Amino acid sequence: MPDITSVVNTLDERKPYIELKQANKAGELSCDSTSIAGSMSQRACVYSGARVALNPVTDAIHLVHGPIGCASYTWDIRGSLSSDKETFRTSFSTDMKELDVVFGGEKKLSKSIDELVELYNPPVIFVYSTCIVGIIGDDLQAVCKESTERVGIPVIPVQSEGFKGTKSDGYKAACNALMEIVGTKEPEFTSEYRINILGDYNVAGDVWLVKPLFEKMGIQVITSMTGDATADSISKAHGAQLNLVQCSGSMTYLAKWMKKEFGIPFRKVSYFGIEDLAIALRTTAEFFGSEEMMNIAEEIIEQETNRIMPEIQEIRSRLEGKTAAIYMGGAAKALTLIKGFRELGMEVVIIGTQTGKRDDYKEISYRVKDGTVIVDDANPLELADLIVNQKADLMVAGVKERFLAYKLGVSFCDFNHDRVIEFEGYDGFLNFARELDTSVNSPVWKYVGSKIEGAYSESSGADCGTEDETKTSNNKITGERSMQKIDPITLQQEESVA
Amino acid sequence: MSQRNYTTVNPCIMCQPIGSVMAFKGIEDSMVLLHGSQGCSTYMRLHLAHHFREPVDIGSSSLSEKGAVYGGSENLKKGLKNLISRYNPKVIGVSTTCLAETIGDDITRIISEFKEEENVGDERIIIPVPTPSYEESHNSGYIKAVEAIVKTFTLEDSKKEIFNNKLNVVLSENISPEDTRELKHVFDSIVGQNSYILLPDISETFDAPMTGDLHKIPPGGTTHADIADMKNSAATIGLGITNDNKAVNYLEQTFDIPSQNLPLPIGLEYTDRVLAALSNISGAEIPHEFQKERGRLIDAMVDSHKYVYGTKVAIYGDPNNVLGMLSLVLENGMHPILVVASSKSPRFAEQAMERVKQVKPDCDVTILEDVDFDTFNDAIQKAKPQMMIGNSNGKYIAKEMNIPLIRFGFPIHDRVGSQRLLTLGYKGAMRMLDRITNTILEVEDTELAAKWSEPESYVPLGESSFHSAEA
Repeated sequence: MPDITSVVNTLDERKPYIELKQANKAGELSCDSTSIAGSMSQRACVYSGARVALNPVTDAIHLVHGPIGCASYTWDIRGSLSSDKETFRTSFSTDMKELDVVFGGEKKLSKSIDELVELYNPPVIFVYSTCIVGIIGDDLQAVCKESTERVGIPVIPVQSEGFKGTKSDGYKAACNALMEIVGTKEPEFTSEYRINILGDYNVAGDVWLVKPLFEKMGIQVITSMTGDATADSISKAHGAQLNLVQCSGSMTYLAKWMKKEFGIPFRKVSYFGIEDLAIALRTTAEFFGSEEMMNIAEEIIEQETNRIMPEIQEIRSRLEGKTAAIYMGGAAKALTLIKGFRELGMEVVIIGTQTGKRDDYKEISYRVKDGTVIVDDANPLELADLIVNQKADLMVAGVKERFLAYKLGVSFCDFNHDRVIEFEGYDGFLNFARELDTSVNSPVWKYVGSKIEGAYSESSGADCGTEDETKTSNNKITGERSMQKIDPITLQQEESVA
Repeated sequence: MSQRNYTTVNPCIMCQPIGSVMAFKGIEDSMVLLHGSQGCSTYMRLHLAHHFREPVDIGSSSLSEKGAVYGGSENLKKGLKNLISRYNPKVIGVSTTCLAETIGDDITRIISEFKEEENVGDERIIIPVPTPSYEESHNSGYIKAVEAIVKTFTLEDSKKEIFNNKLNVVLSENISPEDTRELKHVFDSIVGQNSYILLPDISETFDAPMTGDLHKIPPGGTTHADIADMKNSAATIGLGITNDNKAVNYLEQTFDIPSQNLPLPIGLEYTDRVLAALSNISGAEIPHEFQKERGRLIDAMVDSHKYVYGTKVAIYGDPNNVLGMLSLVLENGMHPILVVASSKSPRFAEQAMERVKQVKPDCDVTILEDVDFDTFNDAIQKAKPQMMIGNSNGKYIAKEMNIPLIRFGFPIHDRVGSQRLLTLGYKGAMRMLDRITNTILEVEDTELAAKWSEPESYVPLGESSFHSAEA
């Protein structure tokens, strides 16, 4: 395998998780394991995985059983929108105190459930367990079971003790919770063709740009999980004939279960980018084998593509040749972004995920060009090194990576919880292109790394720079913009660049 | 939604570890490692990045199931080793989480084992701070970490060395980087540039200038030499009066350093108190600059008084910040109808009441502490304020009430510039008062717009709205 030390300086133990793609050699990237202590992983915990995957269920009460922090940091962070109830945006916690830790929190939990049912009358309560629940041995299953019988609505345990695995295990815990409701109500059919949208969280209203496309094709969308889903729609999900899975990392587990349990097949799709959108619509029409539906799909694809293409072309002319770094939570989004960037004339030079699996990385490796760095469970210093050495013009990631990119003078696009505009569907892709355009082409970047130079500023010591000369260059990562331009070959020889 | 006894709905507090992180971020060349599961550090990084808009690196011992069952010593040691190899910090704060505390890890012992096993010399300072998340709040986490830092640098059995004639200034609650800069300016001007030691100091670390470089550890923070020198100081000022400032007490009890706790200098009178105390302690005159600034503040107060008088306002957030804002609001003739501290503290309610009595004894005011936003909301529905002053988490209530929210405190994640918010000192009071007054004027403008339409020249031709505006 090619040596990655030329582009990134990291712990020996981390090296198997980073790969420099070379022609016809797909290395075996290490992945899918717990983060290395002290490596400063960008990942969160099992609870966070469960919380992000399940929280968008709009009319559910999401009750966090644990000390206050876990509820505090996850209050309304998802950016998912609702067309109905807003219950999911309220933070509920049993706020365990020392006495609860000593004597157990089961009683408080069941009283908490009682009062929430009385006050909010929710259709379902999800009870998330946090780290110490797993340690003090509160029997979440038993409390939830008893409560379900007592209060008459499903009270579902989400086994998400933070330390018991990785974020992916949290996705599973969320899926397990959803399985408790799927199939519990009789679905009503309004069409002979019915699907569920899985793995779409309706961030900024994404689902609302996708669902109408299927409806135009004569398809009934029973539920979208979990973005803009209600307990009621989830309980009828078994009425679908096909599951479309977008965020495969979080929802394939549920899709497989639905296949086994209800015989519903699934297809992995993406609603991002012109090509992937077309594939999603065609795959669906093909599945139902209806010529009429396929014709409508083709009509939508042609009309919509033609509609947005002029502006896309115009933006493309300004983005052509720029380079992108991708660091995503899940692999599905990372994969579809590669295509999306190509449609905008940009090339991916770094691609990484928090929770990708072996097969995901194989596919990523297959799709990116030689010289691209692929990384699993990256940390800030690795990302900073890579951004500089791989010469990325733009980074697409989440909040934690945003300010790291900015400091290096690199533009940034949030494709995570914090975005407020839709990126899915045809208009979503246009939004994405517009955002890249404004990010990459903003005049602010040319000021990064600049200094004001007066006639006497250097010699008089009036220099505004606060550079501490006693520190070695090992303590900082120098952004490309404040360096002399160095060509890639020299850069690779210079180890001290990092 | 009232009548809750068991559930916390929309919390006003965060857990202790995040408070300790904020304190350590104000120490030169330091990193924090949280002993717990991976999520804790990531969530706090997110939370802090949202507010300060800076990269925030916090290490984690990434405790797994194995660690939780057999003890987390192996993870913690590995975490420390990797953190040192990657960031090479001189100071490492090790704060615990609920997980580490519940499994009963003795971090002090693990750290000394680590230092021995890895031959870590005394030049690397590792500071354990027990901060279980099921106790108290982010505010107590901050105080505990500051105390632990001071204790570690000024070992108890050590003696005073050379009397340095300096003034210690120890914060007991988080303030913004801009506020920290203003404080330093005040101390520089009155006490003298090298004559005081401010702890912690996030003025540079959480608001670093953009240079095109990414520092692994942002430069700035209270220097190690200064912290070690605190035991030799002539006096200590603790900023914040609602809670016990443990570091201040420790310095007084251990090294006989006389101390005085003062409110955060927010508003005219609290700033007066701090400046007067500085002058008294240092024997230095208050520079003319501040007399002028004070005069400008009073000028601003006079300019604003008609607009703000009697405006009913709800203030919420961390206790010392809220107390200061209460004082500012009272001085300007506003009506603080609801005053809420996020966490419980021994003297908040008492101090707030005292301040109300001093300025507006007949004021109808409700003072609450240690409540969640749901309870706060109930109180607000009853109090019906015309304005809210506090952090971003109150935005839902403000929206529901259709009243303006002036963002102040922590966290502010839905507006830019929270790291540059200036509230402290005369200058800060001016800024705050201008924001309050202009917000009121903006609201009035919007309300008046229906009655007073724009001059004709600003209305697009052919638009019928102008002529029908009176209808």
